[in-house]
Amino acid sequence: MRDVAIIGVGMIPFGRRDEDTLMDMLAYASLKALDDARLGEKSVDAVYVANMGGGILQRQTAIASSLVDRLSLLPAAAETIENGPASGASAIKNGMLGIAAGFYETVLVVGGEKMREVTGWRATDFVASMTHPQAEYPYGITLPGMAGMFTRLGMEKHGVTREHLLAVSLKNQEMGTLNPYAHVEMALDRDGIFDSPHAVVNNPTSADPLHLYDLCPVSDGAAAIVLSSVDFAKKLGKPYAVIAGFGQATDTHTLAEREDPTDLKAVTLAAQQAFAMAKIKPADIDVGMWPNYTMPLPSSKSPRVNMSVFSRRGRAAKPPQPVRLVSVVRSRSTSPAA
Amino acid sequence: MKKEIAITAYKCRKCGKLHYPFHDRCLECKGREFEKIKPQGNAKLLTYTAIFNLPWGFDQRFLIIGVAEFENKVKAMGQIKADSVDQLKVGMKVKPSWEPVRVQYGEDVYGLKFEPMK
Ligand SMILES: [Zn+2]
Repeated sequence: MRDVAIIGVGMIPFGRRDEDTLMDMLAYASLKALDDARLGEKSVDAVYVANMGGGILQRQTAIASSLVDRLSLLPAAAETIENGPASGASAIKNGMLGIAAGFYETVLVVGGEKMREVTGWRATDFVASMTHPQAEYPYGITLPGMAGMFTRLGMEKHGVTREHLLAVSLKNQEMGTLNPYAHVEMALDRDGIFDSPHAVVNNPTSADPLHLYDLCPVSDGAAAIVLSSVDFAKKLGKPYAVIAGFGQATDTHTLAEREDPTDLKAVTLAAQQAFAMAKIKPADIDVGMWPNYTMPLPSSKSPRVNMSVFSRRGRAAKPPQPVRLVSVVRSRSTSPAA
Repeated sequence: MKKEIAITAYKCRKCGKLHYPFHDRCLECKGREFEKIKPQGNAKLLTYTAIFNLPWGFDQRFLIIGVAEFENKVKAMGQIKADSVDQLKVGMKVKPSWEPVRVQYGEDVYGLKFEPMK
């Protein structure tokens, strides 16, 4: 198995993008990543598109083939990866495997969702379609609702309080103000969403005990990366990152059947695999990112979890941020490659 | 008229592990033969939430949903008959029933409901 490099990244601002179709967003992010990789007119061997909603929300399927056509990447191999909230990381994994196996030299991976095309009701129903069709979905359970039940268990078992959740929410919100791609770039203060009498209006209960600002917004957006072999990357004469480790694991479909739902067994197992492959320990990690549906117990409902570890080579190479990628990012200060 | 609770749990004939919903192979020992078990008695509330942003298909302002464990250890999700989460506590006894939980294509869909017991 050979190492896999990330040679280009591209992202578009997240938010409500009424003017763009799903295909527009995928194309914009892809072109940014392809340009960042300095591929010029060169094609890639394969394209993996991560998308969960296209078939339901846009009534569009075979999205990857359509994208290859739009980007004039013909005849590149095209596949759409639907794996619930883990679709982004799964698509990267598939691209990575193709290169690691020596089968492909360059791969474009792009993930995107257009959630705001439908009403909040419809979007919530679409996301709830990943719950168990008989044992969960008919009751009106939603993903925030699942997270609410996990959080309540965490409160009972570990003494998690709303104050703890608030601290994470305020931190995330502050990060959003620093991120030009963030959907919500608004500084919040503790008073406005917690202490003052207006807090119940500003930050209402969404899925008890979770409140509005404990949850991620429903956004339109897309992000892309270009992967290649390290040999290929070296010839580009620009900094690149190397995927140091990756892990993936699955837990039971229903919440009720998990031995201890607060354990998040799949997360633990995926992390162990990623750390083992990267040959590092959790203590070696400088920055951890855990983007997912809900903040307090990320990935709590997703039965599938992916975890990746990146090592960074070169000063300009930023850790990539594909949508819904559960990742641990390691930055190392080495001199720029090549 | 009271309806019978129409869910079935599956007890592995080899190792005894209880499953709900159905799996083709036992999650513990991969056994493929199961004894059908009906949930029995009252239940204990394990966790719950009140959802205010409901999916398409629900008209009410909010919905309380939880997971409870029956006296014979079957665990299942259901809607909770309460006006507010303030009336609920993890570990409290709840009384199960089989009632309409949503309407689909103009027809009632039946499912589990749990009512807090005094
Ligand atoms: Zn068994």
